[in-house]
Formats: sequence, C-alpha cells, structure tokens
Amino acid sequence: MKNFGWKQGVVALAFLLSVSVAIFFVVRAVRPIIYWHYHQDEPIRDWMNVGYVAHSYHVPSHVLYQALGLPHKPPDRRPLREIAKAQNRSMDEIRTVLLDAIVHARPPYPPPSPPPRDPRASP
Amino acid sequence: MSITDQLLAALVDYGVPLLFAVITISSVGVPFPVSMTLVAAGSFAQRGEMNLLPVIVAGSLAAILGDQIGYGLSRWAGRRLVVRISRRMGSEDKIKKAEALSKKWGGPGIFFSRWLVTQLGPWINVTSGIAGYPWRRFILWDVLGEVLWVVLYVMLGYIFSDRVQYISEILGNLGWAIFAFIISTILGWKLFRYFRPAASLTGVANG
Repeated sequence: MKNFGWKQGVVALAFLLSVSVAIFFVVRAVRPIIYWHYHQDEPIRDWMNVGYVAHSYHVPSHVLYQALGLPHKPPDRRPLREIAKAQNRSMDEIRTVLLDAIVHARPPYPPPSPPPRDPRASP
Repeated sequence: MSITDQLLAALVDYGVPLLFAVITISSVGVPFPVSMTLVAAGSFAQRGEMNLLPVIVAGSLAAILGDQIGYGLSRWAGRRLVVRISRRMGSEDKIKKAEALSKKWGGPGIFFSRWLVTQLGPWINVTSGIAGYPWRRFILWDVLGEVLWVVLYVMLGYIFSDRVQYISEILGNLGWAIFAFIISTILGWKLFRYFRPAASLTGVANG
C-alpha cells in the first residue's frame, strides 16, 4: 500500500471537511421540508407588502389594510418599510399591528366581516 | 435592512426592469441574492402584481446577457493576459490541457452551473472564456440552462407563492449542499486514484 504523505493528508482533511459541509447543508435544506406544515407563517419582513402578508398568513387583505388605517381599494402595493416611513412608525410597530390583526382574524375568533363597500362603486 | 430586503422591496416598486438589471449584474459575477428575487417574482406574478411571461422572458434574457458579458470579457481580455503570462513562465502546455479539459467537460459544466449549482455560474463563464470554449456551443448550453433556471425558480415561487422565504432557504441550502458534494466527489476521486495503482499491482502480482 502507498504511503499516506502530507499531501494526501491535506486532501483527506479537505474531503472530510467538504463532506461535513454537504451534510450540514442537506440537513438545513431538508428540515423546512419536514416541518412544512408546522412553520406556515413566515416572519414579516420590510420588503413584503400588505397583499403578500395577507396571502402568506391566509387572512383577508382588507383586515390588514384596516389595521394599518389604509383603504383596501385600490390595493396599496408599497412595501411595508415605505408604509412605515409614510406613517412615521417603526417596522416593529407595523409588525405588531399586523400580527395582532392576524391573530384576531383567525380561530378561535369569529371570521372577519367582509370588506366595506367602496363608496365610489356603482350600486 | 439587509440587501435581500432592499432588493425585494425595490422589486415591488420597479418590477421587471429591476429584475432584468439585477440578474444581468449577478450573472456577470456580482453576488446578489438573485435566486430569492426570482422566487419572489413568481409569487408576485401569482398574485397579479407582475406578469408571468415578461418575468420569465426578461429573467432568461438578462441571465444570458450577463453570461455573455462574463464569457466575452474573459475570452478577449482574460485569455490574452493568461497566454502572455504562461508564455513568460514557459507553461503553455497547461493552457492546452485546460482547453482540452474545457472541450471535454465544458458543456455539462456550463449547463449544470446555470440552474443546479448556480454559485459556480460566473466562474464557469470566466474559465470557459479563458480556455477558449467555442462560443456557439457555450451559448447553446447557456440558453438551455438559464431558461431552465428561470422557469424552475419562478414557477416554484408561483406554486408556493405564500412561502417565498422558505422556498428560497431550501433552494439556497440545496445549492450549497450540491456544491460541497461535487467538491467531495473530486477530492474523493483524487484519494481513490492515489491508492488505486497499488491495489491493481497487488492484483497483478496475485494473478
């Protein structure tokens, strides 16, 4: 059998390291798939708009617009960071308001009422 | 606010033109969180905030354009530089070896680095250009791989439109896992080759 020189030692070490890195990332990739049904709610981030948050949390969007004091029509597509800036609020505050509205739009609370009619809409 | 958040917030405001610019720049080699941008664009398309077809067409064209810039710069500027340096150092045979290797493995390398191991994409553009990989074959593999990448990521965002962050996290981790697996395979093969001749000699001696 050939001698195990320092060059082979370095290659073997790099091999073990890369295998460990591969296993680490496989575990990280597989974990969210396994817990897919338990981790439905994504953390609310600055880039999201109200429509996305409502879609991601499966609540009617008008509930969230209402909580932020915004009209639901036409839909405000600005990212939350812009809404926070315009309303002179911090992102943490916006997040708290939205999460509170989401909690109250889900069971055990009664389902939210339908969106108010647009006064400009024809009868 | 992270660069990912800034990019995605800008995507909500500026749509397809921003997507085109970001993908082009990232394909040249600037590290942008472009995979998440594509997944988010798919989600926005599902909710009617962007149109699916322009997203796919602009994304594919931008990726192909960025790759051509990377390949072109490496072929016309990088190659000259490498040839000049290797002539001075008397190692021209190494360039010929690199060219042969690129011709043999270049196609699959280009194709898989477009959509499966996207971290390698800009590097493969540079090495293909320097090794003088034929442009016609480069663009063929490039178009196939980039269209597949854009369609795959945008459609994942479209289908799982309520879980942009989870999908991006899974795809990012899978990409690094495959990258590390490829490195492991190459290193494992090196070790195997080092020990193989001794084993085959033993086999001959025994026979």
